[in-house]
Parts: sequence; structure tokens; C-alpha cells
Amino acid sequence: MLFQVENLTSGYGKIDVVRDLSLHVDDGEHVGLFGPNGHGKTTLLRTISGLIETKAGKVTFQGEDITNLDARKIVARGLIHVPQGNQLFPRMSVQENLTLGAYVARTDKHKSSNFEKVFSLFPRLKERLTQRAQTLSGGERQMLSIGVGLMGMPELLILDEPSVGLAPIIKEELARAIAEIAASGVTMIVVDQDVELLLGICERLYLIEKGTVSLETADVSQVDQAEILEMYFGKVT
Amino acid sequence: MSLMDQLNKYRIGLAIIGLVAFLAVPFVITDKLLIHLAILGMLYAIVASNWDLTLGYAGVFNFAHLAFFGIGAYTSGILAVKAGVSPWLGILAGGATAALASVIVSIPAIRLRGIYVALLTFACSQLVLLLLLSQPLITGGQQGLTGVPQLQIGDFRFRESPFAHFYLVGFLLLCSTIFLRRLVTSDFGLSLIALRDFEEYAVARGIPLAQQRLLAFLLSSIFPGMAGAVYAHFLIVASPDIFGFSLTTLLLSMVLVGGVATIYGPVFIGVVMTYVSELMASSAWMSDVFGISRGPVRFMFVAMLIVLTMRFFPGGVWGLINQLSSRVRKQKQAAADQHT
Amino acid sequence: MSLEAIVAIIAGGLVSGSLYALMASGLSLVWGTVRMFNFAHGALVMVGAYSAWYMSNRGGLAKALQPLGKSIIESSENSGALGGLLLPLGEWLVSMRGGFGLVLGVPFAILCCGLVGYVMYVLLVKPFVGKPGADLVVIITTIAGASFMQNGVQVIFGPRYKQLDRILTGPPLQVLETAIGLQEVLVIVLTPVALLLLHFFLKHSKLGMAIRAVAQNDDFAHLVGINVGQIYPLTFVVSSILAGLCGVMLGGLFFILPTMGAQELLFAFVVVVFGGLGSLPGTIIGAYVIGFIRESSAYIFSLYWAPVVLFATLILVLIFRPRGLMGGEES
Repeated sequence: MLFQVENLTSGYGKIDVVRDLSLHVDDGEHVGLFGPNGHGKTTLLRTISGLIETKAGKVTFQGEDITNLDARKIVARGLIHVPQGNQLFPRMSVQENLTLGAYVARTDKHKSSNFEKVFSLFPRLKERLTQRAQTLSGGERQMLSIGVGLMGMPELLILDEPSVGLAPIIKEELARAIAEIAASGVTMIVVDQDVELLLGICERLYLIEKGTVSLETADVSQVDQAEILEMYFGKVT
Repeated sequence: MSLMDQLNKYRIGLAIIGLVAFLAVPFVITDKLLIHLAILGMLYAIVASNWDLTLGYAGVFNFAHLAFFGIGAYTSGILAVKAGVSPWLGILAGGATAALASVIVSIPAIRLRGIYVALLTFACSQLVLLLLLSQPLITGGQQGLTGVPQLQIGDFRFRESPFAHFYLVGFLLLCSTIFLRRLVTSDFGLSLIALRDFEEYAVARGIPLAQQRLLAFLLSSIFPGMAGAVYAHFLIVASPDIFGFSLTTLLLSMVLVGGVATIYGPVFIGVVMTYVSELMASSAWMSDVFGISRGPVRFMFVAMLIVLTMRFFPGGVWGLINQLSSRVRKQKQAAADQHT
Repeated sequence: MSLEAIVAIIAGGLVSGSLYALMASGLSLVWGTVRMFNFAHGALVMVGAYSAWYMSNRGGLAKALQPLGKSIIESSENSGALGGLLLPLGEWLVSMRGGFGLVLGVPFAILCCGLVGYVMYVLLVKPFVGKPGADLVVIITTIAGASFMQNGVQVIFGPRYKQLDRILTGPPLQVLETAIGLQEVLVIVLTPVALLLLHFFLKHSKLGMAIRAVAQNDDFAHLVGINVGQIYPLTFVVSSILAGLCGVMLGGLFFILPTMGAQELLFAFVVVVFGGLGSLPGTIIGAYVIGFIRESSAYIFSLYWAPVVLFATLILVLIFRPRGLMGGEES
């Protein structure tokens, strides 16, 4: 098993947002997380990547305990978190952003081939190479955000809400790119509101509510998709 | 129940004891240096405790606070030296010009936030200094304004008696402290705290931010202005050193070490710090240890004290006393609870 | 206005602008990255000047080492092989009684400033990073730090003025019949070089890029693997080195004394506010603009009024454009 979260509890100050949550991801697997807003998905990811302290529980990656490790040490192991809201270095060029994506030492030798990979996936970024990140469109920023993540050569890539706020056409383009990354063999956790997008990429889904896993599907190819959608929307309303 | 509440129970008795003790000081302590330091200490205590109003209660870093003190000193000094105005009127004039200066500073300052307030007030205080230095004919320039007349009533000269300045400054400190304590426990004081701790909410509830900040600046400037005037007549000089980094640091340490947002802390620690730092500057062992330059060493000491306080006792001495007394009370309470 | 006056104002403006640019760029860098304002920055200028003096002047380290040199020579005459080995050292020390020169003085100043900057970060800034009201607290602790350093230097070196040796000696340069001192020319030429080095460091080196990354988005900086906790002290060190360079240049132009740097700090404040806090290009342009305003107002009004004009400018800028005239960008 590549990645495992056991009985994780975390939050801000005295308030626990994630409570006693467990999940796991196998090597080469693509796992989707979905669920209503404000129920701890982003907090979970921020805890996994070391931005928030773990109060209880354990996170294991590649067989080693990475609970409460510094964020940079987690990144150095290849657990790459692409945060929500297309976060970037706004006053740096596309190229500089991608270069910083390859900050950790283990990517040094593969920098140029990684650049090529990102450009073949998102040709638009190549066209905008010297442009400042803050001048890009919403879709381009999201592509860059993912591109920066790929430059870190992920062993496990975590995408937080990649499709949020994007126009349908751009969303489709992005979904294709993510599916392509998935097909290239990168293990992934994708968080999104759009269950259909997740179904196009992932083999397994977790429904997260009130800070914990409230539902876990078996292999989605074995399950009727409409059923899953019904489960989710039935629960929300 | 805090320490203050406990003291409040016996306030009248304590006030009388305090007053008698205070009046008795010049009779008991006949050392001229000690009395001199006490007067200086009380003047600094006035400046420091008024600074606490803006720094502690309003949460605004007003770098120009010492400038209010300096403006008071120069106003009264210049009026007396150049126009022959009575020092007593000069003291009032000092308070008035300081108040005017505070309004001028606060009008731009209230629109700004955090660091920008500090920068603006810093610039303002330097501007005042530069203006003073640029007019040596009136202000005495770099050397300061010398020949400031001392206070007198009829033929009675204040510098000739150990009592006169001591009682006068003590009275001023008492008025200032009562004024400040009244202020910070009033609705106005509470609104300042609300703005400091929860600005958006306080503004949403209708507290006028700009007006309250302006008032805080204004009300914190009057007593320092008057104290500055007394300072000039007491030392018979008004010096540009008032605007220097060293005095600012010393006064700042009184507010911080005493305890921000307490008023009493800076009042007491103001007097104590003056003693400690002046005695350090004049004590024999300091000069033995550090050779000729012992003056600078006390400012190094003060600087270390500030950093240590910020690091380990952000509540200052007063905060520490309150904390300890409430802990003792809790233990007593717990012990009492166990018995029942 | 005569031609000579115009040349003098331009030269003076370039000198002042250079000094302000070196100082203000450091302040701006720290503000942009750590979100703190370092009031001890002026004291670092002073540390730079004093350490350069101590290493280069014959009254400094060289003088202190004379007895050591002499005793090495004496003792080596009486001892065998080891003495023979040490003899050149002793002779060298004695021969250096004129001071070690600015060749060693400038690197020494850079080293000292970098070290002081790091210690300052650890003692005065680090304990408060991330706590509520930290920016206010750090103003206070750095003021205390400045006071400590100023008074400390006075204890060590005494209050008497010192002066750095001149790097270039010779008659002043004649530009359109106006004399410009060689030291001034050096400042005008070397500052852009230092600023270009800073530019390349920030733009192209890994650590420099990391500094900018942290300044722009520290959360994301964590996620690409930058050690943000290390970037803060690094920024302080870089900024302190710039202040130290400014001190070396100031020390070559004017007297060195414990309170030096305070006046320059004031102008640096004007500059960073003018150029927009945290924006480096804005700061550097602002520095030269302020330099010219200062020199021309000194010419038009008087030396005393120049700062008054500047502070009035600062206050107006703060009132009407608190983010800076250049539209300083804050993330």
C-alpha cells in the first residue's frame, strides 16, 4: 500500500475539522474524494501535506510514517499537493513558477524532461512562458498549478478542486489532461465537487462528510454510476 | 476578581495612606539626588502611562509620543525665554500645543493601519526635531534651549526647595493617572479595546473608528505636553535629546515592562526604571567594570530588558502580579472547596 | 541655475540615491518576505562602517595585534623549528601595523553584518513570527536592538569619530567644470553593480527565487518544498549585508560614529514608502528620485530644509497613496 491515513484528527486551534478519518491509496490507484463544502476535505489535504498539525492518528507514505513531518520533507518524498484556488507565485513568470515546482533536489536531473512533459500536456503554458502568472486566465492558472505539481515528480499527486469555477469547455480540457496524467501511471487523489469528473478518472471514491469518511465505494467500474450520483445527492438534500 | 478589585475594596484607606506616605517622602529622604530622580521618574511616568493609552488600549504604535513631551518643553521654554511669558502659563500652553500637534498627527494617522501608522508618526516626530534644529536662533539648535527660567511663586524659587517640584510633579502624575484610569474604564476606553481586538465587528456595531482614534491621540498628549513644560523649567533647559532613540527606548521600556493596557504598570515601573537606569549610570561599580563609558551600558541594559519582557512576560510586571495573585486565589479556592 | 549647480545636484543626487537604494532595498526585501519592519537597519549600517574600519585602519585590529606579533618574533628567536615557522607570521603582523586595508575590511564588514543580521533575526524576530501583533512587537524589539548596538559600539570604540581610508586618492574628477570627489564617483559606480548582483541573486539563484516565492505566497512555497523557516533568516542576512555595504560607502564619505545610520534610516523609510513597501524596482527608482529631491531642495532652500521637504513629501504620500507612488504590489 502506497499511502494510508489512519484515524486522523486535525483542525484549527481547538476546533477539530477532520475527525478520526481513515483512507488508503494503493500504488497506481486513482482515488476520488467528494462531499459537501466545509466538511474538511481541504483541511484533510493540508494536514496530509504538513501545513496543519496532526492532533491524532497516523499518516503513512511508502511504508514510512510521515505524520507531522515538515511540509518540505513530505514534498521531497514525492507527495505533491496542488492546493485549491489555483495558488501560484503571482508575480513570477510561468517559467519561474515551473522552475520552483522542481525545487526539491531529487528532480534536478530530470528538469528539462519534466518541462517537456508539462508542455506536451498543456501546450498553452509554453505559449505563455514569460507571462506573469497573475495575468493568466483562470483555466491557465489551474493548468500551471498542476504543472508546478508535476515538476516535483509526484509519487502521489493530490489535486484539490481542480475544476472549481471553470467554464465547461476548459473543464473538459482539464479533465482530459488529468486523465492523461492518470493514464501515465501517476498515483492520484483528486478532490472535487464534480462527481462525473471524478468518475472519469478514479477507480474508487470516498464520500467525506462532517470531517470523516461516510461512504466508500468499491471499484466504480463495477457499480452503476447513476447509483453513486444518487447516493451523493440523496444524502446532501 | 483581579488584584485591582481587591485593592478597590480598601480604596479610601489606601488612598489616604498613600497620600500621607507620598507627602512624607521629602522629609524622610533627604538625599538630593534621590529626590531629583523621583521627580524625573514621575515626569517619565506621566509620559509612559499616557503612551499606554494609544499603545496598550488603542493598539496603535505612536512613535510621535515623545514629540508631544518635547513640544511641551520647547513651547514653554521658548515662551519664557523669548517672550517672558510666565512658566505657569507656559505649562498650560505646553499642554495645548501638544494637543494641537496630536490632532495634526492623528488626522493622517487614523486612516492608516499597523506599520504605516508607525512610519507616519516616526516621520512626524523627526520632522518636529528637524524643524527645531533648523531654527537655532529660536530653539538653540543642537545645543538646546538654555536659560529656561525656573518655576516660582512670588519670591519662592522651586529649585531651592526639595519639596516644591516633588509635590507639583506628584500632583500632576496623580491627576494624569486618575484621568487615564477613568478614561480606560469608561465607555470610551471600552470602545478603544473593542476596536483594537475586533475592529470589523466594533465598526459594524457603530463605533466611529476615526473619531475614537483621534480622541485617543488627543487625550494621550495633554499631560505629556504639560509634563514636558515642567521638565524644561525643572532642568532649566529644553534639549533635542528628547527626540533621540535612547529616551524613546527608555520610555517604551517603562510601558512594556510595566505592562501594556494597565496604566498603573507604566506609572510605577516608570519611577522604578528611572531610578535603576540613572543609578546604573552613576554607580561606581559600573564604571569600574566598564571603564569610562558607563552611560551607554544602561541603555544596553534597558534594550535587553525590553526584548526579554516581550519574549517572556508580554503582560509586563503588572500582568505578572495579576497572574500570580489570581493563581494564589485559585489555589486558596481549591483548598477551600476540598474542605467543604 | 548654473550648469555647475546642475551637475553638482545630479552628482549629489546619484550619491544619495545610491546610499538610499542600498539601504532601502534591504528594508523592502525583509518587509516583502518576512512582513516585518526592521528598525535596527540603520544600526547595521553603523556596524558595517565600524567593522570595515576595525579591519582596515591602523588604529583597529592591526594595533591590537602588534604586541602579539612582537612577542611571536621575540619568542621565535629563542626556540627552534617551530619558531622558524611562526616567525613569518609575527613579521607579517608587525608589517601590517598600518592596518589590513579595505581589501580585507570590506569582506570583514560583509561577514560581520551578515552575522549580526542572523543573530538579530534569531533573538528579535523569530520568537514572534506568526504570533498576533507580531509586526508591532518586532518594531519594538528591533528598536531595542538598534539601541543596544549603538550603545554597545560606543562602549567598545568610544564616542570619538573615526574615518575610513580612501580607496582612490587623487584629484577630484572634473565634469563640465564641476569637481566630483573620487569617493563619490566610486559610490555612484559601485552601487548599481551591487544592485545588479542582488537582481541576479533574486532572479536566477535557487535561494533568491525561494526568497521571492516566500514573499509572494508562503503557503504555496511550503508545498513546492521550500524550507520557509530558513528563508526568513536568509532574507535578514542578505538585507544586513546590503546595509553593511551602505555603511562602508558612508564611512568613506563621512565620519563614522555610533549614531550614524539613523539619518539614513529615515530617508530609507521615505524611500520604501515612496516606492511602495515590498516592491524592489519601486524602491530602487524611489531611492534615486528621493536622492534628487533631497539634493535639489538642499540647493534651492538650504541644507536644513531638505529633510523637512522630504518628510513633508513622505507624509503626503502616506496620506494619499499609502501603498506607494509606484503602486507597490502587496500580495
